Amino acid sequence: MADAHAASGSHDAHDHKPSFFVRWFFSTNHKDIGTLYLIFAIIAGIVGGAMSGLMRWELAEPGVTILTRFTGGDLTAASNFYNVLTTYHGLMMIFFMVMPALIGGFGNWFVPIMIGAPDMAFPRMNNISFWLYAASGVLITLSLFVPGYSSQLGFGGGWVLYPPLSSNTGHPGPAMDLLILSLHLAGASSILGAINFITTIFNMRAPGMTLHKMPLFAWSVLVTAFLLVLSLPVLAGAITMLLTDRNFGTSFFDAAGGGDPLLFQHLFWFFGHPEVYILILPGFGIISHIVSTFSRKPIFGYLGMAYAMVAIGFVGFIVWAHHMYTVGLSVNMKAYFVAATMVIAVPTGIKIFSWIATMWGGSIQFKTPMVWAIGFIFLFTIGGVTGVVLANAGIDHTLHDTYYVVAHFHYVLSLGAVFAIFAGWYYWFPKMTGKMYREWLGQLHFWVMFIGVNLIFFPQHFLGLQGMPRRYIDYPEAFAQWHYISSVGYAITLVGMAVFLVAMIDAFFFYRRKAEANPWGEGATTLEWTLPSPPPFHQFNELPRFDKGDAKAF
Amino acid sequence: MKRLFSFLTGVSVLAGSAAYALPEQGHINMVPPASALAEEVHFFHDGILLPIITGICLLVLALLIFIMARFNSRANPTPSKNSHNTMLEVVWTGVPILILLVIALPSFELLFKEDVTPDGKQVVERGDGQTVDFVFPNDFPPSRMVARRDHLQVMLDTGAERRTLKYKTDYTVDGWGEPDLVVSLNEPAPVGASVILRGGRSTQNVAGCPMAKRYFDGCEKEVVLAPTMTLKVTGRQWNWSYGYPDYGDFEIFSNMLPEEEASEELYRFEVDNRVILPVGETIRVTTTASDVIHSWALPNFAVKIDAVPGRINETWIRAEQEGVYYGQCSEICGVNHAFMPIAVEFVSRPAFEAWIDGQRSLAGLDPMFETDSVKLAQADDAGAAAE
Repeated sequence: MADAHAASGSHDAHDHKPSFFVRWFFSTNHKDIGTLYLIFAIIAGIVGGAMSGLMRWELAEPGVTILTRFTGGDLTAASNFYNVLTTYHGLMMIFFMVMPALIGGFGNWFVPIMIGAPDMAFPRMNNISFWLYAASGVLITLSLFVPGYSSQLGFGGGWVLYPPLSSNTGHPGPAMDLLILSLHLAGASSILGAINFITTIFNMRAPGMTLHKMPLFAWSVLVTAFLLVLSLPVLAGAITMLLTDRNFGTSFFDAAGGGDPLLFQHLFWFFGHPEVYILILPGFGIISHIVSTFSRKPIFGYLGMAYAMVAIGFVGFIVWAHHMYTVGLSVNMKAYFVAATMVIAVPTGIKIFSWIATMWGGSIQFKTPMVWAIGFIFLFTIGGVTGVVLANAGIDHTLHDTYYVVAHFHYVLSLGAVFAIFAGWYYWFPKMTGKMYREWLGQLHFWVMFIGVNLIFFPQHFLGLQGMPRRYIDYPEAFAQWHYISSVGYAITLVGMAVFLVAMIDAFFFYRRKAEANPWGEGATTLEWTLPSPPPFHQFNELPRFDKGDAKAF
Repeated sequence: MKRLFSFLTGVSVLAGSAAYALPEQGHINMVPPASALAEEVHFFHDGILLPIITGICLLVLALLIFIMARFNSRANPTPSKNSHNTMLEVVWTGVPILILLVIALPSFELLFKEDVTPDGKQVVERGDGQTVDFVFPNDFPPSRMVARRDHLQVMLDTGAERRTLKYKTDYTVDGWGEPDLVVSLNEPAPVGASVILRGGRSTQNVAGCPMAKRYFDGCEKEVVLAPTMTLKVTGRQWNWSYGYPDYGDFEIFSNMLPEEEASEELYRFEVDNRVILPVGETIRVTTTASDVIHSWALPNFAVKIDAVPGRINETWIRAEQEGVYYGQCSEICGVNHAFMPIAVEFVSRPAFEAWIDGQRSLAGLDPMFETDSVKLAQADDAGAAAE
């Protein structure tokens, strides 16, 4: 560790930054690219969040009353608009908010630093990864403004893109084609990024940092990168087949031509299930670091934590059809997928209990990142156990495609992955910007959000149990009460996001407290805390070493 | 309080009337079950899953609260450096596996009950005051043969009452798992009484069995008979059509009732033409679609089955009581996805037959059943009794 300090100490002197345009548009620096990804994710998060706001506003009361205001009173257009909102909210949040934030943003920023590398293995490939993402973002935005179904704008068939609703039968217009191309670019970008991470982690670890000494965030990104490389080509294949079905007269998914709509679902979920672990695994890594830092203890059961992620990643590939219990699979196939799906609860349980054991006996400081992390552990547990419920096909026949499922995946993603993103943001904000934020604003942000999101999503379990289907613009009177409470929760969450905005403006323009190299004290042991805040433009010109003495990365 | 009560006892409360079966404002649990199978689903959720997942969440919450109180930097200034405990790690890997097994066993049983269409068979013999041996033709495929006492139900119907006989006390059986199964009553069946033999591997707990008994497998079991008819469901943008292949080539179309024609409670649930089905009979439901994927759902029966173009999916339902049950399309299918509800009305057999003949005459077909005035009057009586 002492070596690492010495290695970084002399950097400030030759910290040559390129000019603005070259720095931000031709960037090959992993930290700058990470920053670009984070900015991208924030923009997508605002757009995706606004979309959910429109949905919750519409759903606050029965009857179609809000979206018709945007369509001049036309009910069909309003219904299409609602379907477009659900579709793009999902795609935006998954592909353009959580993935760029966790992998592109925090991954690019901190994986090289944590493993003691000067940069990513392929800096220029890193650049093309980002700009492919940007292009993908442009295409998905364009697809919102061209016809899909009839003369209605956008694609309104859900983020899962099931044909025939996504083929010429359901959405003949160009919106779907643009969406397919957008996902192709996003997929290509993620594959390139994943190759970059795998290469970097395998080849550029500091001398002496074996895989079993590597920080858990790097482990989580490594596992995630493998999931990306193995699953995204399947999605690319599926949407390419869809594209040729739509434009070149093939009939992979068209029953009338000898195809099968369910083939798409199998291909999609072979990608889609690993995808949900792609969204959460980096969050697991971040939470491990934060829990360890603020408990001032090493992580409990390090190897178990690392291999639990590997196990989750592996099992994630063999459970895809649990998204398809109602499509008409044979009963034996369902039984297999029930069993395989329940297995995932075991490594996930190991992670939850290991975080708790890390805190046990610790000397916990409840700084902002830590309260987000504790919130994550509890809410992720709730999302996890409802996953165990849904794993059972016998009960999923009732709950499939109801609000119970919506509640479940928002507990693991919106309250899980997003809480992990905020935890990581507050944890690394001083490191990335060199500035501190006002502690009480961060805490206030947590509490308002915590109350808000629980109020949004907990009642949705009740709606789902009562049979309220997903993706409905309107609903019978009986569901009104819980929908109203859910919408009130959204309003509170919006206040929480306003607090976040205030906290950030405050940190940049008013509070202006400079961050130390290590603002978190002795518990923060990974390499990024040995560098100044913000780190120099190039770090580790002289590599930190872990092969002498008892130096440990973690 | 009433709400809490109905939540706690949900599993044992059978849908009393059609209105009761609807979702209710502010309720937090599944809609009342309308079939014995749906009661088993409720038990699996309320009796097994919900207590387990609630327990896990409370355990994690309690641990977190304890840790925050006991191991904060003020209460515990010097952290321990402990980072391993093999025993602990084995326990928190092993115990969840055991919990999952506790969930998995009833889960598989339930899944197979739901997904294997019943093939139970019924034989009715007349008692003559002397005969004690009755033959049940056990002509199922080998994997489905009657081979255990659970697979066989013996009932004695004297006209005045129907009694389920007890194995060993009332009868013995020779030839479990063999082609001809002989049921020997301990006392000859009285003259004029019917001996009803029901056999098959599709068994379920009878409706209304309380939760406590279900835990210990103490419910009375019944053999579910094979379907008496098929309902053919076709999803289309944006309504449902229903065919009755056993009763002729006609189809009915089911569209959502517009707001001005439906009550406030039923708006978005009610349709112009309900599906009419006979109560108390196993009904095979097949689904397909003509354009995009739809999904046919009936929450009261814990049934949801996708309607996929080019495919025919199958499930089954059996209602315990007459009434109207509602569902909604459950796979996004375009702009009117929220406006293609499902309404199924279960009526008595005579009323059902009268309705079928009515539909047949609309389609220009001859009546299939004797729809004489006596039968229709019976149907009306049965209809009145149901309301």
